[in-house]
Amino acid sequence: MTARIETDVTSQSGCRVVPLMLPHVGLSIHLNCPPGFFADLSLDSGLGRFAHYSSIIQKFDVFEKIASGKDGKVALAILEPRTVVAYAACWYPSTSERWSKLGELMYEMGAIEVSRNFRHMGIAQTIINHIMEEEFFEHKIAYMNGFSWHWDLDGSHLTIDQYRNLMIQLLSKHGFKEYYTNEPNIALREENIFMARVGEGVSSDDRKRFRNLRFGIVDKK
Amino acid sequence: MFEEYPKEIMSKDGTPILIRPLVKEDEQALTAFFSRIPEEERWFLRDNIADPDIMREWIGNLDFTRVLPLVAVKEDDNTIIANVRLHRRPSECLSHIAHLRIVVDPAFRNQRIGSWMLLDTVRLAMTMGIEKLVAEFVAGVEEAAVHAARKLDFYEEAVLKDYVKDRRGGYRDLIIMVKNIHREWSDF
Repeated sequence: MTARIETDVTSQSGCRVVPLMLPHVGLSIHLNCPPGFFADLSLDSGLGRFAHYSSIIQKFDVFEKIASGKDGKVALAILEPRTVVAYAACWYPSTSERWSKLGELMYEMGAIEVSRNFRHMGIAQTIINHIMEEEFFEHKIAYMNGFSWHWDLDGSHLTIDQYRNLMIQLLSKHGFKEYYTNEPNIALREENIFMARVGEGVSSDDRKRFRNLRFGIVDKK
Repeated sequence: MFEEYPKEIMSKDGTPILIRPLVKEDEQALTAFFSRIPEEERWFLRDNIADPDIMREWIGNLDFTRVLPLVAVKEDDNTIIANVRLHRRPSECLSHIAHLRIVVDPAFRNQRIGSWMLLDTVRLAMTMGIEKLVAEFVAGVEEAAVHAARKLDFYEEAVLKDYVKDRRGGYRDLIIMVKNIHREWSDF
């Protein structure tokens, strides 16, 4: 069962809403959810804490905080009437992270997750497809940290390398590439993956700074 | 399999380096690379690929289903500074195993080039469905490679005592290191 997209509309809340055509399921993607949007939502039972895996985001105040931050983006897949079955959230790196050394050039695809009850429907890909439509990304280096300790191998019935390849497939469609880095968290495990997409508007100087930063060298602009 | 190449890395001293698959056009550069490997180390290679004739035959008959060769090159002038080869056997019963051999230019040792090459080989092996990587190192000659391999969770599976002979006729141990490519979490 794979999602088909109907015409999108802008809701009263200010989100861009993209209904998905799924048999027997009323589901829609809400993009750029603004602060205040999250008050009466609930999380589907397939998002939460499990034996070997916990959802990255489990409380709506985290979404609120992300949406309130500069250029913070929250996209939700909502089952009618108000149940969140998937989400993606993006933000600028915090000052404690290496990638913040390039200021607002770097932009993190911080979290994407689909409820265990709604997988294999193409929801994650649909969300990413819509997020990446924005011109905003052509002036950023968007990146994703793939830490294997966040991967739901039990729920997905995938092996580590299959899960890793799934992430590569998900993002490579939008020009993300795997880059090597000695960033300590990525380097902790060999299956961890750092992927990035350099926007067309990013200058050659900034590309060089990005390359150096991947190996711990900070260039002054 | 090679869509993601070339991959950018950087040596400890900040030299930009690319990792990429070997191509036939690399013949001269690879011959030059092996000629820079000290005679004492070349002695332990399976083939004398510093010999241009042997190199020509080897590179001319490359079969990527049997041997996957990667090189690290300096980005500015394409000089080969490291080579790793992943060898696979055609038989079904050994199709889950690959043997790796790695050589780094002496001028670029202790610069993490070998470590990046090993990491890249492990990741390549993961995508190929390899379950076990095997590497052989000559004791007292390839200590830096042994050290780098240990950091990537290779462990000593066996030591063949006095197994290889050096140029002077002395015996040296052959260390066989193995890395299991984990496909699932441990239940610990």
